Amino acid sequence: MSLNDVLSLLRISLHAMVPLALTAVGEIIGETAGLFNIGLEGILLLSAFMAVIGAKAGGPAVGLLVGMGVGAFVGLLFSVINTYWKGTQMVTGIGINLFAMGFVAFGLIQLGAPGFHDVPKVAELAKVRTPMGSMSPMILVAIILPFLVFWFLKKTRAGLMLKAAGESPEAADVAGININRIRLYATTFGGMLAGLGGAYMSVAWMGLVTKDLSAGRGFISLACVVFSGLNPLLALLGAFIFGFFQALAEWVKTLPSKPIPAQFVSMLPYIVTLLVVSGAIGRVRFPKSLGVPYKRE
Amino acid sequence: MTETKRTLESRLLRGAHRTLTGLSPAFESILAAVVGLLIGAILMYIWGFDPWKAYIALFKGAYGGLYEISSSLSRATPLILTALTFSICLRSGMFNIGAEGQLFMGATASILVAYVVVPAPFGQILGLALAAVAGAAWSLVPAFLKLTRGVSEVISTIMFNWIARWLVLYLTIFLLRDPMRGEKTISIPVAARFPVMVPRTDLSYTIFVAVAFALVIYFILWHTTVGYEVRAAGLNPTAARYGGINNKRTMFLSFILGGVAAGLAGATITMGLPPTYAIYGGAAMPQLTNVGFDGMAVAMVGRNHPIGIIVAAIFFGGLNAGGRVMQFYGSNPVPLEIVRVVMGAIVLAMAIPELIRIFPAVKKQGRELTGLLRRLTRRAPKEGEA
Amino acid sequence: MSETQTAGAPPAQATYYLRAEGITKVYSDGTVALREADVELHSNEILGLLGENGAGKTTLTKILSGLLPPTEGRVVSPRGRIRFSSPREALDFGIGMVHQHFALVGPFTAAENVALSHDRPFTRTQLAKTTERLEALMEESGLHVPLDVPVEKLAVGEQQRVEILKVLSRNVDLLILDEPTSVLTPLEVDELFTLLRRLSDQGTSIILITHKLKEVQSVTDRVVVLRHGEMVGDVKTSETNTEQLAQLMVGQALDKDVRAVELSDKELPIKQIRDRAKREGPGVLHVEHLTARGNTGEITVNDLSFDVHGGEIFGVAGVEGNGQTELVESLTGLRVPTTGVATINGTNILGVSPRQIYRLGVAHIPEDRWQLGLVLPFTLAENAILGIHQWKEFKGPLSFLRWGRINAHVRELMDRFEIRATGPGAPAKSLSGGNQQKLIVGRELAKDPAIIVASQPTRGLDIGSAKYIRDLLEEMRDKGRAILLVSADLDEVLARADRIAIMYEGRFMKVCYPDELNREQIGLLMGGVSNEEAP
Repeated sequence: MSLNDVLSLLRISLHAMVPLALTAVGEIIGETAGLFNIGLEGILLLSAFMAVIGAKAGGPAVGLLVGMGVGAFVGLLFSVINTYWKGTQMVTGIGINLFAMGFVAFGLIQLGAPGFHDVPKVAELAKVRTPMGSMSPMILVAIILPFLVFWFLKKTRAGLMLKAAGESPEAADVAGININRIRLYATTFGGMLAGLGGAYMSVAWMGLVTKDLSAGRGFISLACVVFSGLNPLLALLGAFIFGFFQALAEWVKTLPSKPIPAQFVSMLPYIVTLLVVSGAIGRVRFPKSLGVPYKRE
Repeated sequence: MTETKRTLESRLLRGAHRTLTGLSPAFESILAAVVGLLIGAILMYIWGFDPWKAYIALFKGAYGGLYEISSSLSRATPLILTALTFSICLRSGMFNIGAEGQLFMGATASILVAYVVVPAPFGQILGLALAAVAGAAWSLVPAFLKLTRGVSEVISTIMFNWIARWLVLYLTIFLLRDPMRGEKTISIPVAARFPVMVPRTDLSYTIFVAVAFALVIYFILWHTTVGYEVRAAGLNPTAARYGGINNKRTMFLSFILGGVAAGLAGATITMGLPPTYAIYGGAAMPQLTNVGFDGMAVAMVGRNHPIGIIVAAIFFGGLNAGGRVMQFYGSNPVPLEIVRVVMGAIVLAMAIPELIRIFPAVKKQGRELTGLLRRLTRRAPKEGEA
Repeated sequence: MSETQTAGAPPAQATYYLRAEGITKVYSDGTVALREADVELHSNEILGLLGENGAGKTTLTKILSGLLPPTEGRVVSPRGRIRFSSPREALDFGIGMVHQHFALVGPFTAAENVALSHDRPFTRTQLAKTTERLEALMEESGLHVPLDVPVEKLAVGEQQRVEILKVLSRNVDLLILDEPTSVLTPLEVDELFTLLRRLSDQGTSIILITHKLKEVQSVTDRVVVLRHGEMVGDVKTSETNTEQLAQLMVGQALDKDVRAVELSDKELPIKQIRDRAKREGPGVLHVEHLTARGNTGEITVNDLSFDVHGGEIFGVAGVEGNGQTELVESLTGLRVPTTGVATINGTNILGVSPRQIYRLGVAHIPEDRWQLGLVLPFTLAENAILGIHQWKEFKGPLSFLRWGRINAHVRELMDRFEIRATGPGAPAKSLSGGNQQKLIVGRELAKDPAIIVASQPTRGLDIGSAKYIRDLLEEMRDKGRAILLVSADLDEVLARADRIAIMYEGRFMKVCYPDELNREQIGLLMGGVSNEEAP
């Protein structure tokens, strides 16, 4: 393996890290506040698609904004529903995923070709030339954001209120915090970040959108959240690790002689996720009221 | 104490799959279906299609004639089974989203029957058995992980879905490939296929397998102690444990049953779908893909009851069959992907009864906000004001 | 609306802090929690609010602190309107409450928890300021806690101190404490009371909710006694004693025209016991030195030893929260005790699974019928076989359920126990509380047990059902069964038990025959005053 290969691998890893990091960090905010969003997969897909439409109309910036908007909207929907029964949360998540799959597939046909759509160059977010190759500036965003969120959660009062709402809604209530409103903000913001992640995938990274672009990334992000124990910095690390394995899979496919069949390599990210989640569960601690609706009695 | 009772009660109430609007469950599902179709219609309209014509084509294509009905039933067959996967596990309190992967494994395992020379009906039985075992095996690990390490079965089953997809792809390309036609696996031998029920359609006797399995599940759940324990564990694990029920064992069992169902679903496709009786289509694997997820929608609309599931499966199967016709309808062809949009919308609409309760909450929020605004702008109360 | 006392009154009682007039509270399900209560609270005063469970203490305090609207009556104060929409508003006004179940955020430190209830944005400088203030406050109040440890790692007593500090840091004028000493050691209790007196001297009004007579004697200036939602006493502490208070708390029928039906079942004569010889020696249930810890890690069952014999009802009386729940849980396979022995006819029942417990002949009527006793969405029939669904009578080949026989059995139960429902197929949640309880009792008795553990069996039931269940228990007793009756309803225990034990803080204050004690003595024991200490 040459230096070129290593750099190539690194570059792809960093790119693959972005949607995972963004989504995971967004979900961390939501779960800290006590809500659990299972529709991340759907958000990624929907926002990837809608971002393309926005980008074609007004350029890459518009595309990203549209993606964020879509994500925020779904996040909002979730938080409203999340004040109810856990089962409804699951059903809604599954519904959103199904809806997204259908909507995107349908929309793709409308855009021209069934199954995929190339994003025109003008709509793409330009990559920057670096010694490692051309990289998207969003990578920087994905690296900086976890630090910001980490600071927010640990050091600001808003972050503390968020944590209180998730840990002990009763205490937070006594402290005058409006639990449901906080959760609303948290999930909407989390959805927005996931939307950004999805938009990134189509507009800033791959330059195309397919009907299963998300490829399980929503759930890998959830695994990332578990791994991180709700620490954004660890989530960034996890995102990089998972991204690395995805990159590895891609890279192996480009090798002239294939030591391992491509399919097994493609399995790798998912196997790794599984292993990490199985190992991580024991030592991780989640907010006491995660998934439990709060009612003041 | 009364307040605590009421929270417990309302939580338990929600834990049951009861309707909260006071409408009968069947009516609620029908309502959700209507809303879903409506949303589909709106989307069609936005993209420039005529929804009315489209839906007419859809329903004609689903139920318009013997061929059409057979098509719908044929598509309903695997849906019944994957819906059962989700429902059985839900009844014991778990979310098994792995029907997709378990189906893939089941389908692949059934192909192995091609390596054995067995006369009918043993061929069919063997094929089904292989599929059932494969499906069950694939659901074992997530179940095990959940029960021993508390790993969320939602995450683990999804991961297994993707692993299965790639694994099966590998197997179909390298191990099970048809030497004469590269894009498919070897076919199920004629002796092991399920005969076609209605000539010149793709409906074979596999539908009986599906319906029979559904009925078996029905009996198990409501007429055996095993099913009784499953339901109790799902509805009130504390009381169940108190009644001497081993909750862990029950959940494990439900996962295995669910895996069997999904595996069988895969077999009904390979062993019952003319003309290829194989897995084909390269990486896309069209006859297998999404059957697992659609099954979840069927389960929800069917209220997680085997009989309801059969009805809902026929409806969703009809959507799929009709969709194929609708997309070729001369004057107003609508891509059949709209069907999945409608399915998703229907599932979302199932959450409406809960949403109806949201409105009082939204109103309350609104009142709170306006109250806050008023207080901020009003002067502070004078001393002694009551 | 404002009022001030005339100049002639002594300055310490110059103004009242708040006054409640004619407070009646009826909940939406018809429960009358309070009936025409009048209270006046002054500054510089520690008011004790005394009463048994369900007497209305918490409801009254919620109304006094403005968090709950009364159905009738009003709360007035010269300082402003007493009606708030959140605990935070009440705090801003000057009313702070320290709850029985702490409202603390586990992973936060004490300083962070206190900062949470303050208004300022949460920056490092603010946190430092809060810490400074807290340290000053700790010196002043004598309450010391480590400020930088996550509160979930603190001992319960320390956690409570954080709660108090939290409230104190807001400079409240009215401090309400709900059963604060239930988690404190005697030394900590003394420290707390010293603090309370000091605060009161400085002008804070204090309400102390408690059921413990000794506490009331030692720290309050005035006592208000509630019984079944009514104010039955409002006296200066110096002008009363524990006996009188006990009598008021547990008391006799009042001379108002209260509904006769309500009282007739409550005021049953205490029974005279014959056959005393039968009740000595080891029994069906034999317990020795049983000790168990509660969910918070505190010892809640403290070295209990007793026997329950066949053909007797052994009643455990006492205010809830003194270890009764944990005792029952230990004996029915829901909790593993720390030490001790408990056997049924010689076989151990500690640390054993519920399934085994049933096989050993223990039937349990649980305290919380919705969580433990029933699967509400199930039908009557399905609930009736919970735990006995594996019986050969109900389970056929291939584990098929014999619905025919099951339904017949259920109909029998419905007949025998007068369970009113539309049929065996009725969902359990459509039944009234009384019928649900009868279903559970019927199911448990069908197990033909050696001993029945009945935990709060008539709680929340209507009079008719309650009487039915009590009669049923006596019937079982007459047939030779052993019955352990745990109940916070003193009248029930006194009327039906053959022997009683009064439980307080995990111990049996006394084990005796019901006719050995009068009500006053019992009241004292329930409040923790043992015979030797009573003046």
